[in-house]
Amino acid sequence: MSNKDISISKDMFAPAHIDPSKSEKIAKPSLNFWQDSWLRVRKNKGAVVSMVILGILIIMAFVGPMITPYTYDNQNTKHNNLPPRIQGIENVHWLPFDGTLARRDGTVYNAYEVRKVDAYYWFGTDNLGRDQFARIWKGTQVSLFIAFMAALVDMAIGVAYGAISGYLGGKTDSIMQRIIEVIVGIPNLIVVVLMILVLKPGIIPIIIALTITGWTSMARVVRAQVLKFKGQEFVLAAKTLGASNSSIIFKHMIPNMFGVIIINTMFSIPNAIFFEAFLSFIGLGLQEPHASLGTLVNSGFKSMIAFPYQMIIPSIIIALIMVCFNLVADGLRDALDPKMRD
Amino acid sequence: MEKILEVKDLRISFHTFSGEVQAIRGVNFDLYYGETLAIVGESGSGKSVTTKSIMRLLPENNSEIKSGQILFDGKDLTKLKDKDMQKIRGKDISMIFQDPMTSLNPTMKIGNQIMEPLIKHQNMSRHAAKERAIDLLKLVGIPKPEIRVDQYPHQFSGGMRQRVVIAIALACNPKVLIADEPTTALDVTIQAQILELMKDLQKKIDTSIIFITHDLGVVANVADRVAVMYGGKIVEIGTADEIFYNPQHPYTWGLISSMPDMDTDDEELFSIPGTPPDLLEPPKGDAFAPRNPYVMKIDLEQEPPFFKVSDTHYAATWLLHPDAPKVEPPEAVKRRQSQYQGTVGVGNGVALEKDKFPGKKEGK
Amino acid sequence: MAQKEKLLEIKNLKQYFNTGKPNEVKAVDNVSFEIYKGEVMGLVGESGCGKSTTGRTIIRLYDATGGEVLYNGVNVHGKKSKKQLKEFNRKMQMIFQDPYASLNPRLKIADVIAEGIDIHGLAKSKEDRMNQVYELLETVGLNREHANRYPHEFSGGQRQRIGIARALAVQPEFIIADEPISALDVSIQAQVVNLMKQLQKEKGLTYLFIAHDLSMVKYISDRIGVMYFGKMVELAPADVLYKNPLHPYTQSLLSAIPAPDPISERTRKRKSYDPASHNYGDNESIEFREVAPGHFVLCSEKEFKQYQAHYKH
Repeated sequence: MSNKDISISKDMFAPAHIDPSKSEKIAKPSLNFWQDSWLRVRKNKGAVVSMVILGILIIMAFVGPMITPYTYDNQNTKHNNLPPRIQGIENVHWLPFDGTLARRDGTVYNAYEVRKVDAYYWFGTDNLGRDQFARIWKGTQVSLFIAFMAALVDMAIGVAYGAISGYLGGKTDSIMQRIIEVIVGIPNLIVVVLMILVLKPGIIPIIIALTITGWTSMARVVRAQVLKFKGQEFVLAAKTLGASNSSIIFKHMIPNMFGVIIINTMFSIPNAIFFEAFLSFIGLGLQEPHASLGTLVNSGFKSMIAFPYQMIIPSIIIALIMVCFNLVADGLRDALDPKMRD
Repeated sequence: MEKILEVKDLRISFHTFSGEVQAIRGVNFDLYYGETLAIVGESGSGKSVTTKSIMRLLPENNSEIKSGQILFDGKDLTKLKDKDMQKIRGKDISMIFQDPMTSLNPTMKIGNQIMEPLIKHQNMSRHAAKERAIDLLKLVGIPKPEIRVDQYPHQFSGGMRQRVVIAIALACNPKVLIADEPTTALDVTIQAQILELMKDLQKKIDTSIIFITHDLGVVANVADRVAVMYGGKIVEIGTADEIFYNPQHPYTWGLISSMPDMDTDDEELFSIPGTPPDLLEPPKGDAFAPRNPYVMKIDLEQEPPFFKVSDTHYAATWLLHPDAPKVEPPEAVKRRQSQYQGTVGVGNGVALEKDKFPGKKEGK
Repeated sequence: MAQKEKLLEIKNLKQYFNTGKPNEVKAVDNVSFEIYKGEVMGLVGESGCGKSTTGRTIIRLYDATGGEVLYNGVNVHGKKSKKQLKEFNRKMQMIFQDPYASLNPRLKIADVIAEGIDIHGLAKSKEDRMNQVYELLETVGLNREHANRYPHEFSGGQRQRIGIARALAVQPEFIIADEPISALDVSIQAQVVNLMKQLQKEKGLTYLFIAHDLSMVKYISDRIGVMYFGKMVELAPADVLYKNPLHPYTQSLLSAIPAPDPISERTRKRKSYDPASHNYGDNESIEFREVAPGHFVLCSEKEFKQYQAHYKH
């Protein structure tokens, strides 16, 4: 860009006027925290795919039991242990939905034709002839409900406990932290088993059993955050303005912890599902005819060799839920963590 | 004077969630043997990015060198393989960072940290390296180096740690030392000691230094030449005297006059209005135009080329064009100019072709 | 100076951390000074010297270990009713150092600024509240449109001005500015300092200006106190302190500031300070003494006589 190449007329050197108010203008569109975070989550393919899968699973958990003609607790012993068969793709033999089963000697037969059943059980039936499709989605519904409730209760107790402990500090904090340490110190399996024995298996007792030890990790995380924010200048500024303690906690601290709280909750949901499945598996879970993913795997496990579908399908659902929740939580952590911002 | 490092038309962008940030938009400068070049600028002006690109320390996943060359010893550093770059880093070119608290490994003895580059780059035996480490600690003014060499970083104060960092940087007698705000995290009295030390060492070991800072006082103390950066570009470059006593760019004027010295009693400080440009969408024309009180129409249309003020002094502002009106710089700058007059005549308006820019004439 | 009205009187203020433990820190140790109505008092010193702690203790962010802070003759510390506290909060405000940490990232600017208005019920209606916010924004040189944005969209200098607007919202008389410019770029520092000076004139504010940048402090302050390891070592009118520093630490501090002036920098001699150089005897009483009217130095009786004998008037 040599000077000769540019034809510059003299009037270009006249003073220009610039509106001084414009110098403070911000060109970027205003994004609040959630919009900004959503933009970030969207970049994470794994998290987005997981969200879609979770969305489908949750919708199916509610819709699923309604779209089959069978109910989850309707027994039809004539139709027991039928393999999955779906209209339309029953002739595609490489898919596991053609209604065939393998005998011990390896020969394959069509269970529906052999037993002369003119029906379609999409995911097959169990040993009492109950429709697995309805049972699996009902079970997913129950499992998710237990997990969400447990996570919510964890969150409520954990946030309150952690915030109080961290904010008050001093002796109160020491005592509250020792209590947490005692709770964490007892193996939680023992606590849970005792709780179930006392309260009798059922949805509510399982939730209580899960939350009685589960809130401690949330409380610790929240306490650490509160301690961090306590010294931050915006909290000091609120103090010098005369803000009350509750307004400092609820207006200034907790909104800034949303990210951490959400992530922690997201990680605790798959844990709760896993734990519920585990309880069912050792026989402390829900009782028949109620179903959860854990009880389904448990009963499917008993006839795993002869009727593998009875265990495989609910296992796949559990695995999907766990993996997806973890991936979403991971994506959210990257998106919500202020340290990752540029 | 011989050039040791040449940066030619460097352009660097970062890819962020909001879009492409053009952090460096065409930077040219040379570094000569044995000199200290200070790069001054506000945060976001691109001063740190420039030097990090010389060391190839920019994050690889989101930064991109759009164009340009960094010539060192006849090699273009931007095109070097990682392995070859590792041989240069810490040996020929080394760097001192801002925070002495985080730039040392807390779990390693000071001595081992100094010995590491010696053993790696110069194939020294452990014993010889330790001797050299003790010598280096002595050189940077750490008392009882024989004992200190076996201590851990937490046993040192902030100023002492920065001395250790300098010792590590100097271990292999680098040809170029890049100091990125080395005194910003230190107290003024400690800062004075470290600056003193760096000047002292430069005389002893004859390294070229690139000194990045935002503090004009520090610049005045250490620099032979000064490059002023704004909005990803160098807007004015010259010897320290030229920049401080005969600045030409209105941004330099603003910087100098907005710093009160001990005698300033003006009712109001001179201040540059507005905020630095957003390099997501760099403005058309001169990036400084929106904050420039002397703005002309052409500033809003075209980027100014470098105008030569003297053999060593160039400024990128249309005010130096022969057709531009004469403007009065702020009071504080006028005071400085009158101090300087007689030494060198105030130059004006010879536009330069870009590729000739910048530099001292050889043999000066 | 005697005619001036005392706004704030700090008497033997002590702030110790970890008292009674082996790692006890005397962050502020027996500091006394006064601040007159309408003046700017500067407080300088290196990091860890206790200058910020002094400011925070004055505004009750910390409970003082000992000593008194009298605001208009009333002790700020000690037991207070909620009403008294609120009243005190309105009169005394603070501007913070880090413009990135001092604004709650989840609140809109309007809510940041209006926090004080809400707490003290200074707005009659929602509309009145917004009008006050707009007015404050304009006072600090920002636009109305900024009220609906979030802090992260602003640059450091703009945020610092928002912090000033927040402090002004409750119409305080006295503002503690805790290193308000040290995190800002040079070209922005002048904007903020000018704004603070202009506000002081318009609203008759009194400032305690805490900083480590001596040239800025000298520019804005009427009087300056120098702190060293929790103690005030020298206190004098700004010009006097710069022209005639008595305490060796003040001298060393002044000699260490690099000036933007290469010629003087080349010939500059730095002085270093060694606390042992005083050679105080065991029974000498080290006190804060008035060497000349308005010029106090922490010294022994012997030094005091020396200082007075050699005082340049």
